Amino acid sequence: MTRWALLLAGFLLFTASSCDPDPVVVCPECPAGETDREITGPNISTPYVLEVPDYMPAPILNPDNPLTVEGIELGRRLFYDPILSVDSTISCASCHRQELAFTDGRALAVGVEGRMVNRSAMSLVNLAFNPNGFNWDGSAIQLWEQAIHPVENMLEMDESWDNVLRKLRRHPDYPQRFRAAFGVDRTSEITREMAAKAMAQFERTIISADSHYDRVVYQNTEFFTEEEQLGADSLFFVEDVPAGVLHPGCGHCHNQPSFGNNRFSNNGIEDVESLEDFPDLGLGGVTGSRFDNGKFRAPTLRNIAVTAPYMHDGRFATLEEVLDSYAAGGHGVENEDPNITGFPLSAREKTALLAFLRSLTDETLLTDERYANPFE
Amino acid sequence: MKYAALFALLLVMFFAGCDDDDPVAGAVDFTIDFRADFGGDPLAISSETYNYPTGADLKVLLFQYYISDLELIPADGSGAVQLTDIDMIRWQSATENSVTSRTYEVPAGEYSGIRFGLGVSPDLNAREPSDFAADFVLNENEFWNANARYVFAKIEANADLETDGTFDTALTYHMGSDALYTTVTFDQDFTVDGEGDPALTIVADVLAAMSDGTDTFDISDPDQQRVHGGNQAVAQDIWNRLAAQFVLEVR
Repeated sequence: MTRWALLLAGFLLFTASSCDPDPVVVCPECPAGETDREITGPNISTPYVLEVPDYMPAPILNPDNPLTVEGIELGRRLFYDPILSVDSTISCASCHRQELAFTDGRALAVGVEGRMVNRSAMSLVNLAFNPNGFNWDGSAIQLWEQAIHPVENMLEMDESWDNVLRKLRRHPDYPQRFRAAFGVDRTSEITREMAAKAMAQFERTIISADSHYDRVVYQNTEFFTEEEQLGADSLFFVEDVPAGVLHPGCGHCHNQPSFGNNRFSNNGIEDVESLEDFPDLGLGGVTGSRFDNGKFRAPTLRNIAVTAPYMHDGRFATLEEVLDSYAAGGHGVENEDPNITGFPLSAREKTALLAFLRSLTDETLLTDERYANPFE
Repeated sequence: MKYAALFALLLVMFFAGCDDDDPVAGAVDFTIDFRADFGGDPLAISSETYNYPTGADLKVLLFQYYISDLELIPADGSGAVQLTDIDMIRWQSATENSVTSRTYEVPAGEYSGIRFGLGVSPDLNAREPSDFAADFVLNENEFWNANARYVFAKIEANADLETDGTFDTALTYHMGSDALYTTVTFDQDFTVDGEGDPALTIVADVLAAMSDGTDTFDISDPDQQRVHGGNQAVAQDIWNRLAAQFVLEVR
């Protein structure tokens, strides 16, 4: 009798365990009942169409992270929320301030407890046009992967994602937002990837394409000043340059309309004896090739007038210093970009080039409510 | 009986509809390799020091060219099979192999040749980069401006003219215009059937573009170290040699 009862019980257990939905996987580090709870509310996200002016290329959309209204809003909140840092003192926006075209005005970024990061904070505009190699050294293949690392970097936010997830799961507001963006049913289903993808969605919407330059060249609603025109035609873009003439040719690496080129170069600012001597290996630290040492992304020049200091290490405080450096040429290091040649630059030409560079500032970006701090 | 016919029709539709990923009948994957050489040896970006015929040493940092309308020419005289309308073939890193490959789906059959346009075809050269997605090959930041249009090919190197170990002379040859667009054709019989297909490699030699053994481009002349946009005439013979030196290897 007992044997039959056991068999029946076993059969019932087997069938019951087979038929029920898979149990929710609770993260092992989260105390049961404390962070794992059911989330209620809407769980259907609304597709978002990223519109850009017709003079810009079609943006690159990640099919693994489609833009949604709810995802973007969640990402914006995470971007501005110091909850991501170990002591809740800094957020992404601490180093990427909207009024500075999402840079921080410092030579080197500063993390929690005033820790100095070894590179300057990059502008986050127009990442939707960037196909690859995010960061100065191209270390992040995808935008959402980039969003993971500042949290863990001990010089930046110095927080573990396990802790971040605990805070998010306990939060009175975020679980509902994760449900709206990603359809999760329980707080334990909120993941690092979702948080990073939401931030990437927000970042991907930050489009800068309404500068004076755009209004002159593409929208035909304004005119260049004489100085701006001189800077554009004679110095920035490379057309009709007589043979043998040394010319800044900024447009080689800062090609319109993006004014960047998604490539990595040694732009001649480092005077080193050998390829092993670069203080920051840049791309070489990622690829492992000594020939890539000292190479960094050519960033966009859009909004360049408000993103000082300049270069990956913020070594130049002003645009004047940048122009002086390029005019002086490189240092004959074998992997220097051959487009760095040095060139004569008169005071008038320098003023003209600076005027042109200032024409790339998109004033509307700096105050656009869509990109602003949602907590203010 | 009517219902039986309807049922049979539904069955046919069901099975026909289930598998919509079937390849085109008779089509097979066919790979074409593109190799870059320097003086007959596989090109090594940055890492190799090359001797230039005039006595200088070179480090090649970039070699790239657009191809348009890459086509296989059927042996029966029927219309060419287009493999791609535009592509960028580029070597820019020491981490890259000298061979880069592209795989296309092509109809099985007999072919008598292969051809492509070196550069951006006039119809595409008339289009703006903003017409395309940011990750399309015509958005590789190779657009000069509304007048000069796309840069068809680039050779960039640092030269050590004095052979003192310092590569301090920059060479940048950026070429492109509708007038330069050149069709490259290889007459070669081959069969594509998905089994034992020939390995085709289109080879471009950077040195051959600079020197054909008789005429060598003088890189020591400061007037001939930079070609951008408006001074295309300086690089006319580089372009001519580049367009003429392509070789098709068949294994």
